[in-house]
Amino acid sequence: MTSSNPDNKNGFVVLNNVSKSYGNFRALDNISFEIKEGEIFGYIGPNGAGKTTTMKILTGLLSDFQGEVRIGNYQVPKQKSEVHKLLGYLPQNVAFQDWRTVNHALKTFGKLSGLSDAEVESRIPEILGLVGLSDVRHKKISQLSGGMIQKVGLAQALLHDPKLLVLDEPLGGLDPLSRNQFKDIVLKLGKKGTTILFSSHILSDVQDVADRIGIINHGQIKQIGTLNELKSRLSGQKVVEVLLAYASDKWQEFKTIKNVQNVEQPSVGRILLNLEDGADADQVVNDIVHSVVKLKVRVRGITLLSPRLDEIYLNYVREGENA
Amino acid sequence: MKLPLLFVDELRGFYKSKVMLFLWIGLPVIAILFRFVQSSTTGQDIPFTVISTLVVSSLAGTLASVMLAVSIINEKNKNVYELFLIRPLKRRDLMLAKFLSVYLCVVVASMISVFVGVTTDYLTTGILSATILDSTVRSLATSLSMLAVACSAGVLIGVASPSVMVGAILVIYGGNQISVIPLVPTLLNLPEATLFTVGLAAAVTAVLVGTAIGLFERKQF
Repeated sequence: MTSSNPDNKNGFVVLNNVSKSYGNFRALDNISFEIKEGEIFGYIGPNGAGKTTTMKILTGLLSDFQGEVRIGNYQVPKQKSEVHKLLGYLPQNVAFQDWRTVNHALKTFGKLSGLSDAEVESRIPEILGLVGLSDVRHKKISQLSGGMIQKVGLAQALLHDPKLLVLDEPLGGLDPLSRNQFKDIVLKLGKKGTTILFSSHILSDVQDVADRIGIINHGQIKQIGTLNELKSRLSGQKVVEVLLAYASDKWQEFKTIKNVQNVEQPSVGRILLNLEDGADADQVVNDIVHSVVKLKVRVRGITLLSPRLDEIYLNYVREGENA
Repeated sequence: MKLPLLFVDELRGFYKSKVMLFLWIGLPVIAILFRFVQSSTTGQDIPFTVISTLVVSSLAGTLASVMLAVSIINEKNKNVYELFLIRPLKRRDLMLAKFLSVYLCVVVASMISVFVGVTTDYLTTGILSATILDSTVRSLATSLSMLAVACSAGVLIGVASPSVMVGAILVIYGGNQISVIPLVPTLLNLPEATLFTVGLAAAVTAVLVGTAIGLFERKQF
């Protein structure tokens, strides 16, 4: 599916009909999407779906692909060196040379990204403080835990204050506290105007920080949109749940409410009203409230059920499996 | 131009590695041991500088090329290069920095070894003639030529090999053979053989490093 949102016409990151094959395996199949400047874009999909390949194409690490990729005003991979000035990247399995200390690695990468000696010296303590690694500044990276190495990876990506941050599974190996810390950093950068593309298997984390979400499977973009857009697209039939305070047969009366297709009671006191296609859910909920008052039924809650992100994700991923 | 930065960076990584420590200290020690073994077994005095050159060329060449190849293969397989390649630098600078830093390290190790040789010869024989010094310079030039080819072969094999095992086998059985190419003018008894040796080594090194850079430029990460 291609994003057709007219707001995205001037995307900061643009992928247009991008395909990439490894031998006979088609890793990306004509994908097109855009990320607006300052947007936090969550990219989700199962293993082998094409997330990392997309990111490697964006970063210029893979250059033999078909299609058009643009970051800012620059074409990838043609104007790679210009693109690299805008880019911060945290790979999925970040690795450093064994002999490097945290300080030395950050110095090298800072200078390679174009920072002056003075800028590097002032940025390193700032960034290490941000990712919670101030104590290990002069330690060898090879002596750090996997989670800490991941944080050093994040630090090198943030060091030069990039305009576009590409984070491939950045939360892997992080403890819950570090995950929250990471999400705070991402949200802060997003507010500051940094464009962020990040992939994750941890759907709740994507849900917490992403402005928009892209779901990829088998090399194809299945859906793109805000969480609410994805929810509304998935829920072909809207369902309202009414929880009665006590068992009563009066729920049968809900069948007479306009735009309610059918009513069922899966368990005692829990009533589900399936709405007709195109029904205005808010109006129906309003009618249910009136009906409840009229029938003098005591209720504990009325909820318009909407799918969670993991349900949306599984729906599109399974759709791909069955295709 | 990021080459100077990368070069100093790589130098910092290589000069204190275990392999380089062996080259700094172990080579002169082994050369001295050879000297005394040779003196006691044959009773003939071969100039110590010749032994030093022999040891440096064979051991240092093999070690430097294996170290380069293994380091490049490991870094490639561990995705270490990704963090470099997403920055505004030229890919060729990465490989050039590796080659130059290791080559500089082995050049210095060779100098130390040959200096130890000259000093030992002088201390044991009391002679330091112009002929010995001339032969020392020629030996050193030959040795450094062979080392340049060995290092460039290490870079090429490192870039091309998929695994450490394949790389190590290729370096030991292929790289070492290639590194004797500069000896051809000497074997053919050409006039000014040392000059030809240096020229031939420079050409072979340029071809090998150039091919390695070409492969690295095209590599998909």
